[in-house]
Amino acid sequence: MYPRPIPATAPARRGLYIGLVSLVLLLWLLPLFTVMVTSLRSFEEVMAGNYWGWPKSFNLIENYTAVFTQTAMAHYFVNSLVITLPSVVGVLVLSTLTGYVLSRHRFPGANLIFALFVGGNFLPAQIMMIPVRDLMVELGLYDTYAALIIFHVAFQTGFATLFMRNFIAALPDELFQAARSEGASPGQTLVHVVLPLVRPALAALAILTFTFVWNDYFWAIVLTQSDAVKPVTAGLSNLRGEYVSAWNLVSAATVIVAVPPVLMFFLMQRHFIAGLTVGAVKG
Amino acid sequence: MASVELQNIEKHYAGYHALRDINLTIEDGEFAVMVGPSGCGKSTLLKTIAGLESISSGRLLIKNRDVTAEEPGDRGIAMVFQSYALYPHMTVAENMGFGLRMAKRPKAEIETAVTRAAAILRLEEQLDKRPRQLSGGQRQRVAIGRAITRSPDVFLFDEPLSNLDAALRTQMRVELSTLHARLGATMIYVTHDQVEAMTMASRIVVLNKGQIEQVGAPLVLYNNPVNRFVAGFLGAPRMNFVEGIVRTADGRGAVIECAGGMSVAFSDLASPVHAGDHVTVGIRPEKLRIDNIRSGTTFPAEVRLIEHLGRETIVYADAGSLSTSNSDSGTGAFTIQIGDIVPFRPGAPLVLGFDVHDAYLFSTDGRTVSAPKTVTGL
Amino acid sequence: MSRLWRRHSNWLAPTLFILPGIVLFGVVIIFASLQTIWVSFHEWDGVGAMVWVGLDNYRQLIDDPQFFVSLKNNVIWLVMFMAAPPLGLALALMLNQPIAGMRIVKSLFFIPLVLASVTVGVVFTWVYDPSFGLLALIFTAFGATASALLSDENFVTVAVVIAALWPQIAFCLVLFLAGLNNLNEELIGAGRVDGARGFAMLWNVILPQLREVSFIALAVTVIGALRSFDMVAVMTSGGPFGSSTVLAYQMYEQSIFSYRFGYGAAIATVLFVIMAGFIVWYLHTLLKVEEGNA
Repeated sequence: MYPRPIPATAPARRGLYIGLVSLVLLLWLLPLFTVMVTSLRSFEEVMAGNYWGWPKSFNLIENYTAVFTQTAMAHYFVNSLVITLPSVVGVLVLSTLTGYVLSRHRFPGANLIFALFVGGNFLPAQIMMIPVRDLMVELGLYDTYAALIIFHVAFQTGFATLFMRNFIAALPDELFQAARSEGASPGQTLVHVVLPLVRPALAALAILTFTFVWNDYFWAIVLTQSDAVKPVTAGLSNLRGEYVSAWNLVSAATVIVAVPPVLMFFLMQRHFIAGLTVGAVKG
Repeated sequence: MASVELQNIEKHYAGYHALRDINLTIEDGEFAVMVGPSGCGKSTLLKTIAGLESISSGRLLIKNRDVTAEEPGDRGIAMVFQSYALYPHMTVAENMGFGLRMAKRPKAEIETAVTRAAAILRLEEQLDKRPRQLSGGQRQRVAIGRAITRSPDVFLFDEPLSNLDAALRTQMRVELSTLHARLGATMIYVTHDQVEAMTMASRIVVLNKGQIEQVGAPLVLYNNPVNRFVAGFLGAPRMNFVEGIVRTADGRGAVIECAGGMSVAFSDLASPVHAGDHVTVGIRPEKLRIDNIRSGTTFPAEVRLIEHLGRETIVYADAGSLSTSNSDSGTGAFTIQIGDIVPFRPGAPLVLGFDVHDAYLFSTDGRTVSAPKTVTGL
Repeated sequence: MSRLWRRHSNWLAPTLFILPGIVLFGVVIIFASLQTIWVSFHEWDGVGAMVWVGLDNYRQLIDDPQFFVSLKNNVIWLVMFMAAPPLGLALALMLNQPIAGMRIVKSLFFIPLVLASVTVGVVFTWVYDPSFGLLALIFTAFGATASALLSDENFVTVAVVIAALWPQIAFCLVLFLAGLNNLNEELIGAGRVDGARGFAMLWNVILPQLREVSFIALAVTVIGALRSFDMVAVMTSGGPFGSSTVLAYQMYEQSIFSYRFGYGAAIATVLFVIMAGFIVWYLHTLLKVEEGNA
């Protein structure tokens, strides 16, 4: 192990180390802490300029209720869920299919298709912005949930295909030979052999895709216009303009936007890290 | 002069007593082999000497200097690892010179040392290659070369041959022994393979469950194991053990009765046993005879399996109700090693016999109370 | 039908499986990207007909000072982002201790990575606020007055990049922690026996083992720098006076706000070429590294 573990027999050095790490952690998350604390302050306190002192009163319930009732945040939140969840499902379905075919079937052009899926990941969003926006306008989908869902499924399928292909390719060949020798069709192999084995990969992929889609801002402002379909990220940006001085409410809204991905991350941390490192290593 | 001294070494980790009161002195120029089953603590002990593992208590001296608290790089040791642990991004020459470079020695000195080590190990042609371009045997030699370059007081080897195939292993065994003779350096070598221990060691240290069982020259340990564990560990095929009960005992002798009615009379016991004690009779496979005439101690048996090795034959045989400690291994209760080709088939009846002077007797707690008289001086 | 299906299912089924993915990705991502290059040779307001203007948009780019501001800012992003891998490595080295509770500490360090860039933008806008922000607080403590970084043409991009570094460092931290977990223990032992310690150990024994991870961290960082859009949009909208725009933001602004879709497409194409250049270099190096390891 490097650096060398600090032995349990050196309590002074351990104490010093824990103190140092705590200090760095405090500084590292200080911006976030202050936003969280501000989301508890009263409007009067914010107006009086008490941003850094201990809150005089804790307005947790008032502030968060206010965000949900006085602003469109509740609506944005629902929009985000309506956009994100179907996108995740769509990505999982499509990438399992493409990943399975690309890893287990040889056909001409397979490498080119795979290269396009991988290469597409690296493209800056702006290179496809104008035609995608135009396409959604033409289809009558501009400013609807469908526009964002279709785009996210399409784009995330690139990364997800890479991920699933690598995972399925790492499964033992013998399993597939056995399935074939027992007369299983490609569809049966997919359902009875692949699906049960890729569950951990699907879990990792689901949480990564959720985070990516939930956190998207660019496409939210390019493909939507009205509050009726806007997700939380775009909503938060608007809110900040409207409630310039009500920092306690803006802070509360910021926390609300952050909660789902952070929660997901803590619930499925192992999957998240594994997915991110595998994706990055192979990408 | 003592090269390495271990004094009352103890190691605990995570509630596990890895080393128990290890006391050992290794003399200058010795080739000491530490051997034992997996998990016995031999590798831990070696890493302790290297300084890669800390010790919970005790003292470690190298060349009469207390190095217990010193860094591995300052102890005057060099180590050859099981996986060779060559730096993949360095050439062979850079690998071998790295220790000296870290010690900030002049370039010319490093080069001389590397050239010398390369010559000893016939690596002159490989100096500019990377480890991945070498064969397993060559990598092994580079790992040894890296140790030689540092001209350490003590060489440490951690199962260095276990990644090589059988033929190469035999060859490297010879090369290592030759190298030891040539350098005259102190070497400590860890292995689980008792053949390596018997062939290379000037002294063997047998470890079991974190404790030293016995230390001595290979043939001393082979002929005079202090207990049943050492007797069973050294020698292949393994010694046969027959469980028995002491029928009668006087001060110097005892009659042991084994299940099935066979009885063996020992005299000249090293320490007394008592009537009723559960004891074990041990007999090496090469000392078991296949008798047609019933003389000495004999008992009937039946061939279960036979292995023809060409020069010799190994017979596995069941002996009715005689219970032996290898009964559960599934190969037959007794192992007989015959230096000849024998025409048995499985199921054939046999009469096995041995001379009581070739037999060992182990007490209830496993100590050797009687061993064959052997030619001394080895 | 059923007989036909059974006879051909061995190739028909995989084709049907892969088709939805290919069509969707092909149309929405690949075809759209190529179409942008086509659009960049036209003048187009996004509604009416496209008019072929050849390389006109590119000629205008060369004469557009704003384009060079964006380009310069992209370079600043790229250069400053290079701090993320070493800082991520430093944090990883600090956190890689097997002490109870470190798992949770590590996860807390990862948090910026899962935050939306909008969240990061809002949080840092607040940090930089000249009247009550964290920065103002620090300045006041030293008796100085904080300048409004986000309205200062000279500092605005640097301030935005520092905010963007926060999640980027966390990303590199995750990668390097994974790398440190995969170190070869015997190699470290060999290094210690050879007397390497401290920085010599890091440089000669540890870093060579982290080469692959470092390379990935570098690539992720370069792509992150070139993609920068959200933070600029949220924190400054390119201001003040367009001094903090980057190519991605200028392209968006020209298309959506000025209805110059052809011109926006030309900027996007330039960004794409830069990115493609980097990707070619990346893949080339990757292949060379893999060859070297073979």
